[in-house]
Amino acid sequence: MNKPILEIRDLSVEYNASEESVLALNKVNINLYPREILGIVGESGCGKSTLAYGVMNYLGKNALISGAINFGGENLLDKSDREMDHFRGNKIAIINQNPFTSLNPSLKLGKQLAEVAVFHRKMKYKDAMELSRDMLISLNLPDPDSILRRYPHEISGGMQQRICIAMGLMCQPSILIMDEPTTALDVTTEVVILDLCRNLVKQFDTAIIYISHDLGIISSISDRIAVMYRGEIAELAEKDELFSNPQHPYTKALINCIPRHGVTKDQKKLATIPGYITNRNKHDESCPFLERCKYSSSEGCINNYGMQEIIQGHWTACSKVSIAENEVILDKPEPRIIGKQDEVPLLNVENLTKIFPSRSKKYIAVDDISFHVNRNRVFGIVGESGCGKSTTALCIEGLLETNGGRIEYKGEDITKTWQKRSGNVLKEIQMVFQDPARSLNPFYTVEQIIGRPIKVLRGIKSKIDRRKIIIELLHKVGLSEQYINKKTSQMSGGERQRVAIARVFALKPDLVICDEPTSALDVSVQAAVLNLLVELQQETDEISYIFISHDLHVVNYISDFVMIMYLGKICEFGRTAEVFSPPYHPYTEALLSAVPEVGGGSKKSLIRLEGSVPVPDGTITGCHFHTRCPRKIGNICEREIPPKVNLTDTHYIHCHLPNEKLEKMESVF
Amino acid sequence: MKLSKITIGGIIGIVILAFWIFMAIFGSMLTPYTHVEMDLVQKMAAPSASHILGTDQLGRDIFSRIIIGSRSVLTVSVTAALFSTFLGILVGFSAGYFGGKTDEIIMRFMDILLSMPALVLAMVVVGIMEGTSILTLTLVISIVFTPRTARVARSALLTWKDLEFVDAAKIRGESHLYIMFMEIMPNALGPIIVEATARIAYSVMTVSALGFLGIGLQPPTPDWGMMVSENKSIIISAPWAVLAPTIAIASLVIGVSLLADLIQRRLINE
Repeated sequence: MNKPILEIRDLSVEYNASEESVLALNKVNINLYPREILGIVGESGCGKSTLAYGVMNYLGKNALISGAINFGGENLLDKSDREMDHFRGNKIAIINQNPFTSLNPSLKLGKQLAEVAVFHRKMKYKDAMELSRDMLISLNLPDPDSILRRYPHEISGGMQQRICIAMGLMCQPSILIMDEPTTALDVTTEVVILDLCRNLVKQFDTAIIYISHDLGIISSISDRIAVMYRGEIAELAEKDELFSNPQHPYTKALINCIPRHGVTKDQKKLATIPGYITNRNKHDESCPFLERCKYSSSEGCINNYGMQEIIQGHWTACSKVSIAENEVILDKPEPRIIGKQDEVPLLNVENLTKIFPSRSKKYIAVDDISFHVNRNRVFGIVGESGCGKSTTALCIEGLLETNGGRIEYKGEDITKTWQKRSGNVLKEIQMVFQDPARSLNPFYTVEQIIGRPIKVLRGIKSKIDRRKIIIELLHKVGLSEQYINKKTSQMSGGERQRVAIARVFALKPDLVICDEPTSALDVSVQAAVLNLLVELQQETDEISYIFISHDLHVVNYISDFVMIMYLGKICEFGRTAEVFSPPYHPYTEALLSAVPEVGGGSKKSLIRLEGSVPVPDGTITGCHFHTRCPRKIGNICEREIPPKVNLTDTHYIHCHLPNEKLEKMESVF
Repeated sequence: MKLSKITIGGIIGIVILAFWIFMAIFGSMLTPYTHVEMDLVQKMAAPSASHILGTDQLGRDIFSRIIIGSRSVLTVSVTAALFSTFLGILVGFSAGYFGGKTDEIIMRFMDILLSMPALVLAMVVVGIMEGTSILTLTLVISIVFTPRTARVARSALLTWKDLEFVDAAKIRGESHLYIMFMEIMPNALGPIIVEATARIAYSVMTVSALGFLGIGLQPPTPDWGMMVSENKSIIISAPWAVLAPTIAIASLVIGVSLLADLIQRRLINE
């Protein structure tokens, strides 16, 4: 291999917090080669971002850095802040997770872009503006002149991130560090950004360090992958090697806990990693994964671990490479057996419409949709942000007033807000929210949080009786009874979500709405929460979920039925297996093809959605998807609302595509 | 509370406040005079062993008057701060929680009150109420301060109102009152307490200013502001008669403000 452009040698970073010092990075060694995309993956708290900012020598004042970062023959850690100005943004650029907070909202985009070149390359403002324009053209942004005159809030999130990338490239840096650049974006936007990254390497000879918590993205973009855990690199290898021959127990566990290759809840339970990440103390010399590792033994793991090269270019920190238990064998899923029980409707939604008033126009978040949820089934709702999936949930829950339509639960009309609903309906329809840090009151203990609904809705007045129920519930969700007096601030994200689930199941509900219940959690925790939800359903056998998610693997894993939404409309509905295999609605096809597959080869057909997303203010005619649809057949799509086309008894799409085209579709998932 | 988090300023604040509370309760035991007793032989006497802080024009012992004055100023300002906080929570919470038109109407009315200088507003209200007792003075100051505490209470509520635990409370059918006071208020109390403490300091100033203007507490109650005003004509010949109440006012305001700072650091900036 050629000479590395960046060498990180024994990089350690220690943060001095008020009470204890935390070792965020411990002796990290890694090289970055020219024209390479190096993926760094790990759960939150693994030191990924510390590594990114450490390379820029840009960490807080309470960070103690040691080691060396060699770049162009110089050690960046020896440089003063003033000297580093020459490197930051100029030779090494960084792109952050949230483009909206990285851009100055009060400056026009053109000015922000030009500033970079004026500062670093001492260009005249006019020339810098010209360069900005060229940069936008080379990044394939439509209509660059008008973009340069706009403010950040006037363009979409994906566009903003592309502007940030353009800004990073203004000085043609040799290294681009991307810290979760697509985490705040939708999947169809994400693929566009990923394409862009691949092109950057070819076009500008940039080397990229790509940081993400998402193994799927990392596996689709990177040449080499470093898996980080608690401030150390656990494993480092070429992409294909890493996925076909993972060595470190953490890598294996991480790969295994994601629902992949269309695996569903009927086929297998997801693997989980017990425990959670704790802060590392500098005196701790044992393997960082020791506490959660199922292969841990007493001696070897404490002092006899460390990076070793097992094959050319494949490094791993675990000495137990001999463990040949290869659970990561890519097991092909069996054909799914659909349950034989009768489908009994529980919830009927007819012509539901929700309009939000905005200044001059209206925003139709949910546009005349009808569906029904059956007993003892999981009903998945999928769509990108703004498609109306959460609004639908809030209407069913009675937290939003509807503007039309009817919601019927067990034959009773419940088209009213929570104030007017009967205690019984309130009790039976429950909700698990996205972020347990926000859905649990930080002021109260677990006992009070779970106890209150039991008292209010189940009418159990005695504290002792309630305590018994609470302890039983805690055991059910996998928490010990010691948690009963804890406050949520003392818990990890996964533990909090378990408490939130316990609160919901305390009421023995019949319908639970789960609004992105795992997207604020790490993958290993996500697996545990999904397993728990499935177990609780199987145990009670009389419970339905409405499961809202943007993660198609997760929806495929847990759902019996799936509804795909786009801009307030239903695109496709059917049994999960039917929706996830052809024929598809073109939007479903695009979504599925955008999902990065962990360790899988390249996708057969890659669909990129271009065009802008219109605002659903009632002026869109025809099919809502026509502005971006890659399979648009003509004027009819713009003029006429697509009819409901029944493909099977349970599967329908809203599309104008003729049958013969639908039949020719190939599988993309 | 960890000791390391207590600042020097905070300690000074606590000491000053403790000093004045002690003086208000036990101070009268330390002096042989009452606050109205006139020693006609020793008018405008300089501080000495018999009169620690000297005497005023009428030969009254200044130390005794300060001590008795501390009782009214502490009572009025602490009660007024608490009462205005209470009113502020009621007003601010209903505005913020219900939002929309309710919010607009209530808050614009508060803005109108806020647009008038506190002192002028207080003078008007005192004028309407005719005659000032400790009770009316407390009420006046509470009303004047309510728009300010209401704003703080409202914004404290708004930071928590949209969190999902509020939705969770709604979908188990809790009442608005429960949600406001049992779900949101415990979390939102930090800035409200800080504001309440700061309001004590402002109350001390307002009480003294009204006293100075002669529309505060009426004689014979020895109000600190009134003492400054009574003795301002002898500021050259007997400066202690003015200095003593002035320093008393200043120290109490500073002490309470330092305490408010400490509380803010503990409750909010953590």
